Amino acid sequence: MNALVDELIRISEQGAAAVLATVIEADGNGRVEPGDKCLIRDGKAESGTIRHEGLLRAILREAESCLKEEKSKLVPLEIPDAGGKIEVFFEVMAAPPQLIVVGAGHIAVPLVKFAKILDFHVAVLDDRMLFANRERFPAADQILVTDMAEALKGMAITPSTYIVLITRGHKYDEPCLREIMDSPAKYIGMIGSRRRIKACFQRFREEEKIAEEIIERVYAPIGLDINTETPEEIALSILAEIIKVRRGGKARSLSGK
Amino acid sequence: MAGPGTCHEDSASERQKTDSIYHQVKEFLDKGETLAVATIVSTKGSTPREVGAKMVVTAWGEIVGTIGGGCGEADVKREAIEVIRMRKPRMVRVDLLDDISSDSPAVCGGIMNVFIDPWWKEKNEKKTAKERT
Repeated sequence: MNALVDELIRISEQGAAAVLATVIEADGNGRVEPGDKCLIRDGKAESGTIRHEGLLRAILREAESCLKEEKSKLVPLEIPDAGGKIEVFFEVMAAPPQLIVVGAGHIAVPLVKFAKILDFHVAVLDDRMLFANRERFPAADQILVTDMAEALKGMAITPSTYIVLITRGHKYDEPCLREIMDSPAKYIGMIGSRRRIKACFQRFREEEKIAEEIIERVYAPIGLDINTETPEEIALSILAEIIKVRRGGKARSLSGK
Repeated sequence: MAGPGTCHEDSASERQKTDSIYHQVKEFLDKGETLAVATIVSTKGSTPREVGAKMVVTAWGEIVGTIGGGCGEADVKREAIEVIRMRKPRMVRVDLLDDISSDSPAVCGGIMNVFIDPWWKEKNEKKTAKERT
């Protein structure tokens, strides 16, 4: 058990994504028993007691979909040469979600504060040191003072990355949006009035022939419809929208999504 | 994180926090103890904790983590001690439907299935050795 436990500890310390699959029920011939386990990381079975190849293949397939949904679940598998019906519990150890806040203005301050309470790994970008600094963002994991679009180009964006574009103007939001539009980010939100967003998307469609489904991904105007007034309330509505996307909720977004 | 006394619907998404519990598991295993790891693997209706929530029980009945507290947890703890003794996993169905009038914070009206798995230091190693022969 120790090798497995050491690996589980390593995973939790690194904040890596992994799935622990445990056989819960097997009415088979003893080749697979309840309690048999397999740890899956980076699409590979790393350690455990499951040796049956057909079962391992099925487990790897299911683990990938569980990881994508970030949801632990019980899955019945049909593996004829391992005794038929086998129930496997997939425990998802999700990597901590990463929030990239582009623009370090008034909304960013409460946004970063709230996001840290919610256990996000938070990076803040701005090209003005007067705004992107430790005094304003004591809890941020990373503060980058640089050209924002340029910085986004170099950042690791994964399916557990959430990106909020709240720069001081569309002149800055748009080039950033172009950088990340076809990234694997789980969420892209952009601030702005309906009119300006419409104009921005129109330009994208006409000048750049960007596919409609890519434009459709963007949550703009940003946030859930809770009639916000202050920067703090806007920050809360943005995070509420992010949680809705992460967990598959149904509340209405200002973008109509 | 939901603790004892709060209920969420089974459709509600869960939060998978697995850090620290394995650190404590390792400590117990290193001392040569057999543990029971109880995990909620499925739920129906409203339950005190979500699928994936875990509780570790020692042979002395010590508990690390929670699967929701109350009578349900006490039942699981009792079964867990049995699992440690037999070193054989089992599935326990915890019914939170009855006793709805009781004051227990864990009475949510749902059902949860809990898999209780015995862990001990040499478990994997033994199995691997057996397979090699």
